[in-house]
Amino acid sequence: MKKEDLILVNITKPDIVSNDKAYRKNRKGVKIMKKIEAIIKPFKLEEVKDGLSRMGVKGMTVTEVKGFGRQRGHKEVYRGAEYQVDFVPKVKIEVVMDSKLVPQAIALIQEKARTGKIGDGKIFVIPVEEVVRIRTGETGKEAI
Amino acid sequence: MEYPAEQLKTSRQQLITLFTTGLNVKSFPEENTALIDQYFQDSLQESLVGRALHQQGIPYAFVAMGGYGRRELCLHSDIDIILLFGKKVPLQAKTLMQEILFPLWDLGLDLGYGTRTIKDCLSIAKIDFEVLTSLLDARFIDGEYPLYLDLIEKLYKKVLSKKSHALRLWLIEKDKKRLDTFGDSSYLLEPNLKEGIGGLRDYHHMLWLAKASVGPRETHDQAFRARLSYQEYQDLRQHVSFLLNIRNHLHLLSHRRNDRLTFEYQAEIAQRLGLRDQKKSLAAEQFNSLVHATMAALKSLSRSFTAGLFLTTKKGRNIKQIRQISQGLTVDKGELGFDAARAILKNPSLLIAIFEYSARLGYPLSLEARRLVREFLYLVDDSFRQSKTIVGSFETILTQSSHTFETLSQMIDVGFLDSFIPEFGRIRNRVEFDAYHIFPVGIHSLYTVKYLKELSGADHELLHDLFVEISHPERLLWAGLFHDIGKSKGNHAHSGAAITNTILKRFGYDKDGIQDICFLVRYHLLLAETATRRDLNDEKVIVQCARIIGSVELLKMLYLLTWADSRATGPKAWNDWIANLIRDLVFKILHILERGELATRDASRKVEHIKSEVRKHIVPGTQENDLEASFERMPSRYLLNTSPQEIVRHLGMAIRLKAMMQARETQLEGNAGEDIFIFETRKDKVGNCWEITIVAKDRPGLFANIAGVLALNTINILSADIYTWRDGTAVDVLRTANPLDDLFVKEKWAKVQEELANVLTGSLSLESSIGNKETHRHSAGFKKLLRVPDVVVDNESSDFFTIIEVYSNDHVLLLYRITHALFDLGLDIHSARIATKVDQVVDVFYVRDLEGQKIEDDERVKEIKRTLLKQLKHL
Repeated sequence: MKKEDLILVNITKPDIVSNDKAYRKNRKGVKIMKKIEAIIKPFKLEEVKDGLSRMGVKGMTVTEVKGFGRQRGHKEVYRGAEYQVDFVPKVKIEVVMDSKLVPQAIALIQEKARTGKIGDGKIFVIPVEEVVRIRTGETGKEAI
Repeated sequence: MEYPAEQLKTSRQQLITLFTTGLNVKSFPEENTALIDQYFQDSLQESLVGRALHQQGIPYAFVAMGGYGRRELCLHSDIDIILLFGKKVPLQAKTLMQEILFPLWDLGLDLGYGTRTIKDCLSIAKIDFEVLTSLLDARFIDGEYPLYLDLIEKLYKKVLSKKSHALRLWLIEKDKKRLDTFGDSSYLLEPNLKEGIGGLRDYHHMLWLAKASVGPRETHDQAFRARLSYQEYQDLRQHVSFLLNIRNHLHLLSHRRNDRLTFEYQAEIAQRLGLRDQKKSLAAEQFNSLVHATMAALKSLSRSFTAGLFLTTKKGRNIKQIRQISQGLTVDKGELGFDAARAILKNPSLLIAIFEYSARLGYPLSLEARRLVREFLYLVDDSFRQSKTIVGSFETILTQSSHTFETLSQMIDVGFLDSFIPEFGRIRNRVEFDAYHIFPVGIHSLYTVKYLKELSGADHELLHDLFVEISHPERLLWAGLFHDIGKSKGNHAHSGAAITNTILKRFGYDKDGIQDICFLVRYHLLLAETATRRDLNDEKVIVQCARIIGSVELLKMLYLLTWADSRATGPKAWNDWIANLIRDLVFKILHILERGELATRDASRKVEHIKSEVRKHIVPGTQENDLEASFERMPSRYLLNTSPQEIVRHLGMAIRLKAMMQARETQLEGNAGEDIFIFETRKDKVGNCWEITIVAKDRPGLFANIAGVLALNTINILSADIYTWRDGTAVDVLRTANPLDDLFVKEKWAKVQEELANVLTGSLSLESSIGNKETHRHSAGFKKLLRVPDVVVDNESSDFFTIIEVYSNDHVLLLYRITHALFDLGLDIHSARIATKVDQVVDVFYVRDLEGQKIEDDERVKEIKRTLLKQLKHL
């Protein structure tokens, strides 16, 4: 078996950010939300999207992005001309959800997006202070 | 004043109800106009101010302007009127206006109004052409008719006669602005019915130009008839009425004046028009096709109408310069025409010849020539469509000219392309109901050809190079024209290839050409789909693509077609991001094809044969799907180099392994199954040596352990094939060099198995056991040096693996030393081929690091060489 490619999961723990406004709201028992940002391989998008939908996630933002981490771009030479690929094409998914769902969502993305090879991507979890639905003015979880 | 307004309200409501329920759909704008007219007439009858004015002898007239004047009032259209007076606007005018107009506002109608004298009207019309055109639509409603006539007479005499040329220029300028605003791709699928290209505005422009070119007393029907054939005029009326009808539906649904046919309303309006979803196309798609066809036709009519007008004016001033360019064809002021209509009858090939010249010279067909082509389309019959010369001319247009796009567009405009290739007619106006495709299929195909042709210019370096290199660009262009021709069928690439085949056979096209073109049509989505949906770091994916494509030439064409097709689809289908993915894929396929190991035609045939043999061996019905899935898991090299019988055997071993692993998991005790492996041995019939097959879950160092245990038992490995399936199953087949003692052979294998299990769980240390062994061997003093050991690290030959080749003298410990060193270096052996010739060993390892990457860092490569060479020298 290959050594597992580490997928970094950055979860901001509430006790570390005790000054955080979102956290204070939290303590008063007001709803808390997180944003999950996942950078994944393009061909894994469908699986991850389907998985999240099945989990009950109602909406997501998907962006075609380019970048590099430990997986670098490469160079091709054709008829003497060089074609350099500096950045590797990836897909970024952004989903805001009730923080209770976050562990499940992380597990799901990790399961669906994993190939075991380099470049599988990363998942970031970010606290969200507020969500407002523009049309109705609803806020908080209702607005997700 | 209540009564007329009440009446209007009721009758208007009735009209809307009728419209909503699908009755009187066609005549809504006219009936709506009539209702408003009626209101004005009724109100004036009762108006006190109106009567007073009459008694004072002050003439006045209510005049409808703009859309109201043209009787084109949709549900929420503006109602523009002017209250016209002779010389002076009397004081009562304001009261009269209020009296008549306020109730309309109360009904929620949108009104635009003005109170003017004839002189006012004329002086504004001279400087503001918006007002002028609006006055051209003027229509008398009520009041003093002579006053209205006076206005119109003067408008023609004093304004139009002097300004008609300026008006034309102004309209051309307006058209340009419209093209800038509404020619934008986003409007192609969500057209603006009024201002959009081919919208009602085009009709209005024709109308104004027609009016400006005739006298005031002629009806605009007469004006049109001078320039349009009977059929063209009928078509025009039909298109306008269709667009007005849709526009009215749009107003009704969006509850406001709205001319943009956005997605949200398309499906609903389609339903209301009685279109229903069908297998081949959604109602909304059929609807879009209709709208597009109508707008395209209107655009075409308006263009030729306008061009015709300008031609006549120029003709008057210039001397005739008709020049004959070939038998039956002429050029007149940069436009192509026929000598005489009779010439076409005698020689139907003139119908394509005129396009050939148009493509070569870049001149458009004259209005008259277009009309003639249309009239004579019946000459395009089966024998015309099969004629080699005609097809040759068409191919010349497709390939040789730099005006291909314009010429093909003209062919579509006049219906020639539909007649010549009826299959194309079926998809021409088809619109895909999504935000992805911005053009209907016909135009999209033309753009694909256009982009391909532009490649011979230099903008896109790589694509340009590839285009120049391909030996049959005409095949690529045909494929560009036909790639979506199967769009009305389910799998459009698949059925498109069949349709293309039919067309090209009819053309009498050569066999190789047909094969290539059909291939390109059939697989035009392959690259884009693979690049976005499959793992490009999986060699098997690339090899499968390479096998489908089969040759570098076809790969190049397919890449170019993919690029042009995506670009012609719209900005969402082609961007830097996807371009990178596809280019990456293409290079990888190219490398596989160029190396010719895995994807030659022979290789593909052999693999298919092996697969079908394996299928025969498996009990039918039991595990067909499993078997296909297993094929997917097997690496390309394995499938190519392993016999069907062996594959069947390995599959059986893999199933047993899986069962054992599962059993261990459920027991929930001991280790996770590191010591589980399937071990089989058998005696080679020919060589009197043994073959060992080990199937186990792959892990780094597995092969080093196997080699080590065998070395420990002094079993020399002559050759070996090592594979890792995609699901992480390692299949290692080793052949021993030396015959074993037949008496104790069972015991020997049992010992090997036991030791291997111990090594795998860690209870036996290979290093120390082998250390003992080595001293033992050394004391035997048996050593001969035949060649200098060598290590080659090759990163060029594969996009997926670093290939390490080891040349050395044979030694019982050799394989263990090398593989152990590779393990220590953090390399994972994906597959390997071990071979021995006499005493010479050639080992080839396909390796990656533990993250699945090739080892490309120079320092690392040097370290690998150094380490391996050190091991070899120690033996």
